[in-house]
Amino acid sequence: MPKRGAWLVWIFMTPAILLVGGLMYYPMIGTIVHSLYSTSFINPHPQFVGLKLYAKILSSGEFGQIAWNSCVWTVFVVLFQNLFGFLTALLLNQRLPTTALMRSLVLLPWVLPGVVGAILWRFMEDPQLGLINSFLMSLGLIDHGVAWLASTSTAMAAAIAAAVWKGFPFSTVIYLAALQNVDQEQVESAIIDGASRLQRIIYVVLPSMREVIAINLVLTTILTFNYFDMIWVLTRGGPENATHIFPTKIYELGFGEFRFGEAATYGVFSIIVLALLIATYFLIQRSGMRWRAR
Amino acid sequence: MTARSWIGQVFLGKAGLTILQVALAAIILLPFFWMVSVSLKPASEPFAIPARLWPQNPTLDNYVTAFRPEFRTYFVNSLIVSLSTVAITVALALPAAYSFTRAQTRLVFAIMGLIVAAQMFPASAIIIPIYKMMKGAGLLNTYASLIIAYVTITLPVAIWMLRGFLARLPVELDEAAAIDGAGPFRTFVSIIVPLCRPGIVATAVFVLIVTWQEFLFALSFTSTRDMRTLPVGMNDFIGQYGIRYGELMASSVLISLPVIALFFLLQRQFVAGVTAGAVKG
Repeated sequence: MPKRGAWLVWIFMTPAILLVGGLMYYPMIGTIVHSLYSTSFINPHPQFVGLKLYAKILSSGEFGQIAWNSCVWTVFVVLFQNLFGFLTALLLNQRLPTTALMRSLVLLPWVLPGVVGAILWRFMEDPQLGLINSFLMSLGLIDHGVAWLASTSTAMAAAIAAAVWKGFPFSTVIYLAALQNVDQEQVESAIIDGASRLQRIIYVVLPSMREVIAINLVLTTILTFNYFDMIWVLTRGGPENATHIFPTKIYELGFGEFRFGEAATYGVFSIIVLALLIATYFLIQRSGMRWRAR
Repeated sequence: MTARSWIGQVFLGKAGLTILQVALAAIILLPFFWMVSVSLKPASEPFAIPARLWPQNPTLDNYVTAFRPEFRTYFVNSLIVSLSTVAITVALALPAAYSFTRAQTRLVFAIMGLIVAAQMFPASAIIIPIYKMMKGAGLLNTYASLIIAYVTITLPVAIWMLRGFLARLPVELDEAAAIDGAGPFRTFVSIIVPLCRPGIVATAVFVLIVTWQEFLFALSFTSTRDMRTLPVGMNDFIGQYGIRYGELMASSVLISLPVIALFFLLQRQFVAGVTAGAVKG
């Protein structure tokens, strides 16, 4: 933009700055403030309690369980989503008659509205009517329908499976684009040197995709940690808190029990976790830029 | 031939890889296929165990029942909220993204960083203060509350996507326009915006897909049936109709069709937009 247009820069940016500042950063301060006040359904007037809610939450067993659940949920969804996404990207990077069609189909689960995806998986995992139980029964692996989402030992795994199905196409598409950016000369000279397919992936493809992989791991971690729809529709955090993660607990405490203070306290914890993850994201991106500039 | 290379030949030959692709297609499509199949099963057809993939007497009954007045209300609400959000977000994001690509000062970079970072914080962590702000402004249970919230959460992504497209337009273009006597505002409106059309389309589709399925804000801000959007309405269906999955699946198909159709129509631009920022940094 020419020098004399400098004033326009600020006019152009002002609405974005005001909205993001006023409705995203300002409320984060609000969350911290709310975490210092106690409210409940019986006593809706906020009462200043200082850090008492933090003490209460940290000493309850529930916090430990929700932090652990969030951790399990995030780690496994991110791991499988990226692993599956990378492998399918390799598969769709082959020249085959079905490749073009598959590339356009692969994003379907990701485009499917979240609540619909969750309802569909609730149905898939239904003990009586679900396709998954029918399939396992016809293979003879189980002799009666298993209520995957209703048992504390399987609910989290069932939710993770649904989230991976819904989310992996996004990783596939990103990795596919990155694979197409891999320097073909390097790949060809590796072929001439007699490198096998696996060796080419390990020594040529993976190193050149290092940065994309790192950024996507952090990005999917952030998105998964924040993921509300899937678990809320599948289990509402149950059974017995077995699938409650930070976002679902915050919603339940705030809008189910009107305990805004406690909900905000959980909110503060998740803001801290996210701030750390976001800092990691920017560090990776910056070191990537420096590495490229060399 | 050793055993290992034999396995390699079978699984990594053209035929083996095609089989793997077909298996992948099955994983992706089976749930969709089942959704459509169940939506076509008459309510009287018992749910056989093991589940039957193909409906014996397909019927559109479920669609007729699913298209009840409430559903139409939810649909209209979703449409109003989503389209308004798309229009406002793109209108605000485009000039902001342009500024970010053209004014490369430290301050502008810092602001850009803060805006991009904002989209990564969880909506659930700020939902309570925003809810109270909306309540204070008397906006709860209105389209305005949802549109304002959606513009805010989609603006950072939209700016980030558009920035990728705008950065590719050379600065010489602006300079040439300035020499020809166009003011900065006119340069933006009549030269930059038309050139950025593919980016605008990709961003608009992305914003539409995000708002069409947004759940948390819609669940918290709307309290009466006449203001519910489709995702929240669907969530209500689960409790209300218990196990009437035929109807539930029919409404699922109806909700998904618009976004899926749009996606197929504009797939190329859309994928370019999503991958531009992520791959090239």
